[in-house]
Amino acid sequence: MENASYFLLALLWILCWGTIGAVVTPRIYGRKDLDVSQAGLAGAATGAAGGPFFLIPLWYLTPELDWKWVVIPAVVIVVIFAGAFAAADPDNLCVTRGGFVATQLVNGLVIGIIYGLMALGLTLIFSILGVVSFAHGEFYMIGGMAVYYLTTIWFPGLHPLVGVLGAALLTFVIGIIFERLFLRAMNTGQVERPGEYAILVTFGLAFFLQYLTLALVGANPKKVARFVEYPAINLPSTENPALLKVTVSSIQLFDFISISTSRFTAAIIAVVLLGALMWFLYRTWIGKALRAVSQDRQAAAVAGINPNTMNTLAFGLGTMLAGLSGASLVQVFSWVPWVGIPASARSFVIIVLGGMGSLPGAFIGGLFVGIVEAIGAGCVPDPQRAASYIPAYGMLILTLVLLLKPTGLFGREL
Amino acid sequence: MNRKWLSLGLVAASVLALIAFGVVLEPYPYWMHIAIVAFFYAILASSWSLLAGYAGQFSFGHMAFMAIGAYTAGIFGKFIRLSTAPTGICSEIPLGNTWLVFLNAIPERGTVTGQNCLELGKAHMPVGTLIYQLPAMPGIVLGIIMGGIFGFLIGLLVLRLRRTYLALFTIGFSEILRTALNAEIDITQGPNGLELAPLFPKGVHLFGYYFSSVNKVPPYYVMLALFLVSMAVMYWLAASRFGLFIRSIREDEEAAAALGVHIVRYKVLVFVVTSMIAAAAGAVQAHYITVITPNILLIMQMSLVIAMAVIGGLESLIGAAIGAIIIEFALELLRTSFTIGPIVVEMTTWRLVFFGLLLMLTLRFWNNGLIHPIIQRLTRVGWAEEAVSRRVAMAEEME
Repeated sequence: MENASYFLLALLWILCWGTIGAVVTPRIYGRKDLDVSQAGLAGAATGAAGGPFFLIPLWYLTPELDWKWVVIPAVVIVVIFAGAFAAADPDNLCVTRGGFVATQLVNGLVIGIIYGLMALGLTLIFSILGVVSFAHGEFYMIGGMAVYYLTTIWFPGLHPLVGVLGAALLTFVIGIIFERLFLRAMNTGQVERPGEYAILVTFGLAFFLQYLTLALVGANPKKVARFVEYPAINLPSTENPALLKVTVSSIQLFDFISISTSRFTAAIIAVVLLGALMWFLYRTWIGKALRAVSQDRQAAAVAGINPNTMNTLAFGLGTMLAGLSGASLVQVFSWVPWVGIPASARSFVIIVLGGMGSLPGAFIGGLFVGIVEAIGAGCVPDPQRAASYIPAYGMLILTLVLLLKPTGLFGREL
Repeated sequence: MNRKWLSLGLVAASVLALIAFGVVLEPYPYWMHIAIVAFFYAILASSWSLLAGYAGQFSFGHMAFMAIGAYTAGIFGKFIRLSTAPTGICSEIPLGNTWLVFLNAIPERGTVTGQNCLELGKAHMPVGTLIYQLPAMPGIVLGIIMGGIFGFLIGLLVLRLRRTYLALFTIGFSEILRTALNAEIDITQGPNGLELAPLFPKGVHLFGYYFSSVNKVPPYYVMLALFLVSMAVMYWLAASRFGLFIRSIREDEEAAAALGVHIVRYKVLVFVVTSMIAAAAGAVQAHYITVITPNILLIMQMSLVIAMAVIGGLESLIGAAIGAIIIEFALELLRTSFTIGPIVVEMTTWRLVFFGLLLMLTLRFWNNGLIHPIIQRLTRVGWAEEAVSRRVAMAEEME
């Protein structure tokens, strides 16, 4: 950072006026007897974007606030933020090379699809059981471990896709066994205070699974070979691969966007799984039953759906989605028994951002968190530090969401 | 009346026994060490049970507050000195004849001189200048205050919302803090660990005996005192109106709010108090073991504290404390690995698997934990007779 002061000043400006907007706007709307439900958020966004120049007209005119009052200021804030960053650090790769930014964006999107898949599992569990599973990251870890053991240790040469299916089956089975043994008791009145019990027992499960895995497989990092070896493709020609260049390790688009092949494979798997999940939830009887239970337990029971069975199924499906995202990412990262902790923390960020229990919210939140992490990791000066702070970018988002809109993007009102 | 005296007697007897243990165990530093660590966990588990069991707020960031206390004390000890002459280079505050000197953070590697401003300033200082490190106490107090500040900010952010959000947020906060402590090597020494002075760098003279700085007796009594003080504070809080309010919040937030309990204020307050207790435990423990690494923040440590509190009895402060002490000793006893045929059973890991399973089973089948019911049975000696005699008296009156 050469001129860090520019950046800090811009940040201070945004924060200061954002706070003023968030605090004052609801009062003014309240005094005029208008709807204040969106006033805090819109005030914060408008204030942060335009300072007094936007706020004073807003306070004077008090227009009806809808999504435009959040989205347009948000875009302005991003532009101001980027501009201040460029002014502060003109030699940064993110400022000098558009290709680098594009690569980071694409990589963020690609990894975000898998984050979204994992968070979908968590939000599916929440929407039907009303429980946030704190063991979600451990199922992610187990999914990856299962692929490693199936394809590398026990049956070398087994097709990786069979390994992925095996991982899905294993995490599904563990999930339904746990639900049946421990979470079913919540609905039958066998435990006092089910909400507290659910938090603690899933956390206990995380503790148990993590140390069980550590005891069984040891702490050495595991590495799985790439699932798919892509053929070398050069378009339009080998001498001048201006459009597309596929090598063993990476795919290069238009000469400047590059994605590693293993991430690309993982994203393809995730997209296929998402399609399958959507088909299952919206087109089959069981999927419709699941959604019915998430909307109204009693009404669903009246219509002949057994809510307890749906609970078990939903928990198994949710853990299976976590296991599948682990299984598809095991070829990208090296795998240790505690790899699930940051992954589950990220899933929490995503479901809060998307709105607890909202399926589209989880997916869009996943993409968003993926992009923010990629941009953060690429653009923050001092690359080593930028990389080690990757989980912090998600926490920053979480803090902002909790401050400004605790219900998330698509959440129902609490 | 009978029962009250009985429990008071029990408390007095156990306090005396704990004080006596310090003398009895003195020749066995290993057991002294385990006892000190057990008290440390007892403070954490009981304060967590005040937060979770009494107020119903589930924080997974208790160890993060512990680490905030520990690292504040460590950073205070590392960067602040007293000097009898000004350095002229460092930022410093004159205090009469002495100067409070703030050292600058120097990168671990790759610097020109590799020296902090105090080392550089020494060249200009008059001969005979004395430079001291401050004692541990102000650092510990600062650590407690920092724990309270962080607890207040996080509480204000998250406790307005449903209780799941606290669990979600604190788990992330704990991870971020660990990342930051690992990454900011210039300040925290990263994974190499931050070194601290012992609790009493020059040793202690007590009752005609001298205890060196590595002797375990002074830290034993310091940790014991902290344990007893925090238990007393928490019991006093739990017995006061405040305790009533936080329990009403746990039972039913809406009902409590409707009856005029300012729920957010009390939730934040209990969160701040328990965070400060955790920070105090962390700061003292850091000075006792003299080196802290970011690994004290691993989720596993948090899980262990939760297991202790739950197995001890979530709704009983003393149950959680006793659970912590028993589990800490059990963990030490279960350390030896053994072999079954060709398989080596690594007990260092399997014991944690066992406690994880025990945690889940306790939650599922014994709501009150395993130790709390035993305590209840012990302290209810004589209760039955009292009740019977009262009933007899009432029956006689009726006639």
